[in-house]
Amino acid sequence: MKIDLKIRRYNPSSKQGREPYYQAYSVNASEGMTVLEAMLEIVGTQDPTLSFRRSCRSSICGSCAVKVNGFTKLACSTQIIPEHQKTGEMVIEPIANHTVLKDLIVDFDPFWKKMDKVKPYLIPPESQTEEVAITQENAAAIDDAQKCIMCGSCNSECNALEIEKKYLGPAALAKAWRFVGDVREEGGRGRLGRLSDDHGIWDCVRCVHCVEYCPKGVEPLTAIERLRARALEENIRDNHGAKHVDAMVESVKKVGRLDEAAMTFKTLGLLRSLGMIPMGLKMEMHGKMPHPHLFPQIKKIGEVRAIYKEIEGRKKTSKKSRKVKRRKTD
Amino acid sequence: MTKLNYAYYPGCASQEITKEANSTTRLVAKKLGIELHDMPKANCCGAGLLTDYDYDLYIALNARIFAEAEEMGMDILTICSTCLMVMSRAVHDLKTKPGLLEKTNEVLAKAGLHYSGNVKVKHLLWVLAKDFGVDRLAREVTSPLGPLKAAPFYGCHSLRPSDALGFDDPEKPWSLEAVLRAIGAEVVEYTGKTKCCGFQVDLVTEETAIEMTGTRLLDAKAQGAECIVTPCPFCHINLDNYQNSAEKQLDADIGLPVFHLAQMVGLALGLKASHMGMSRHMVSAEKILQR
Repeated sequence: MKIDLKIRRYNPSSKQGREPYYQAYSVNASEGMTVLEAMLEIVGTQDPTLSFRRSCRSSICGSCAVKVNGFTKLACSTQIIPEHQKTGEMVIEPIANHTVLKDLIVDFDPFWKKMDKVKPYLIPPESQTEEVAITQENAAAIDDAQKCIMCGSCNSECNALEIEKKYLGPAALAKAWRFVGDVREEGGRGRLGRLSDDHGIWDCVRCVHCVEYCPKGVEPLTAIERLRARALEENIRDNHGAKHVDAMVESVKKVGRLDEAAMTFKTLGLLRSLGMIPMGLKMEMHGKMPHPHLFPQIKKIGEVRAIYKEIEGRKKTSKKSRKVKRRKTD
Repeated sequence: MTKLNYAYYPGCASQEITKEANSTTRLVAKKLGIELHDMPKANCCGAGLLTDYDYDLYIALNARIFAEAEEMGMDILTICSTCLMVMSRAVHDLKTKPGLLEKTNEVLAKAGLHYSGNVKVKHLLWVLAKDFGVDRLAREVTSPLGPLKAAPFYGCHSLRPSDALGFDDPEKPWSLEAVLRAIGAEVVEYTGKTKCCGFQVDLVTEETAIEMTGTRLLDAKAQGAECIVTPCPFCHINLDNYQNSAEKQLDADIGLPVFHLAQMVGLALGLKASHMGMSRHMVSAEKILQR
């Protein structure tokens, strides 16, 4: 079947392409044809000037991520006919949250710089004289994070990165978890301290787009949640994100629910809470101001507390067992 | 037609800060003959924050909610997209992760509870769009909303992660549009409707949250929207409570009233605005209501 494509073009070094525009192409799509195959056909038979990155054609190299009808996909693993049927369109654009260099090619330098920032390598103890035993459970904890092919799809869809360019972003944070979560790692606490600074783990808005659009099932959000949990375990709490979580954990234990007013106060502290007073007054006028501790406790709160107690106990045991059992090699 | 019965889980936000969503849902359900059964024991789902603290605690506390619904023999109906996402993810994980259900039941046993793994979690939106049905809903309409240009705002959690939610298509969602059309509104298309409102970072990186909220509102406004309709109380908090802050931060005039899904449906069913807590909104809905 004939499918019309609209591809976003941009070439700052040519007169015609200085302003981005959409160019129409059309291909004869056969069953199973991928978006990448369609683009290769265009380059081969219609327009050799169309630029994009590609290499392996089998979702391993991570080169060919593009936006297909508004959502980030690997061109090599996206079939053109079903995508076209979904919306009746086939619009191909460069991934978002990156600067476009030419046509579908974006600048990956900021991506690599953020990767560098999380030190994407294992930091073992200084004098490693012992053998480290790795259980299946240890390996499973970082397994998903290892699958990253650095295609940038998660960063392209990340809603937080769209607003805050300095945010480390899901790709680098998933990579950070790959090492923080590794039992052979020694520098975990230091890493978690840096990751808890501004534009680190607490910038994530939990929009879940990274999970939805990762073509390899890395689930960066899950990695971010694990980093946050590990940071709290290491008692790195000097930031609003950690305080917010602590307030929730306490609120649920106490009344079984979220106590909005108490959470605001505990997260922001006295001074910043005072800054919320103008909005609070306005909310009060509309009857919207949440009042602390007016919540009736849920029925059978004892059950909730029993669950907390059991989990806290298990947590202590698992933290202990994570301290790697090292065996002298000599 | 069989009576629709649900274990009703309004979520924490709608029991306090957005309680108008809760009370209006009850009115709408009554009008449509949908039975909502309270869950007096239900705890907070954690809104994602418990997951940041301890995954096992998150799963166990959600399983406690599911155990109550199982006891009641009903699916859960929530009116909060974040509760929907958080609970659906727990349901999904408990079903698919080897050993998790058994491990969680060991924890629940300490509280004398058990979850057998068969609960379904639904949003009011899904119930209206499917269980009740949009055609049936259209027949119940006594005061069609038209002409009213309404911008549907899904936010993130009513659509993603789609494998755990298993209902709508996040790239081409239909449910909210279908409900809005059924009650006679004109649906406005705009780019931000499935994106984040910023709520999760209101207290963490406030400027980001406000810019996000403002961007969504301005997107909708640019496409001619006269109001926003959202199935999520947290999205409502940001789009409504923070709209004024967004106007200041982005130096723009917005003035878009934001309705809870139940309120918009309620209007079409002939419920009085004064009974649906509209005066609790920070952005006045008067100009819409007076028409």
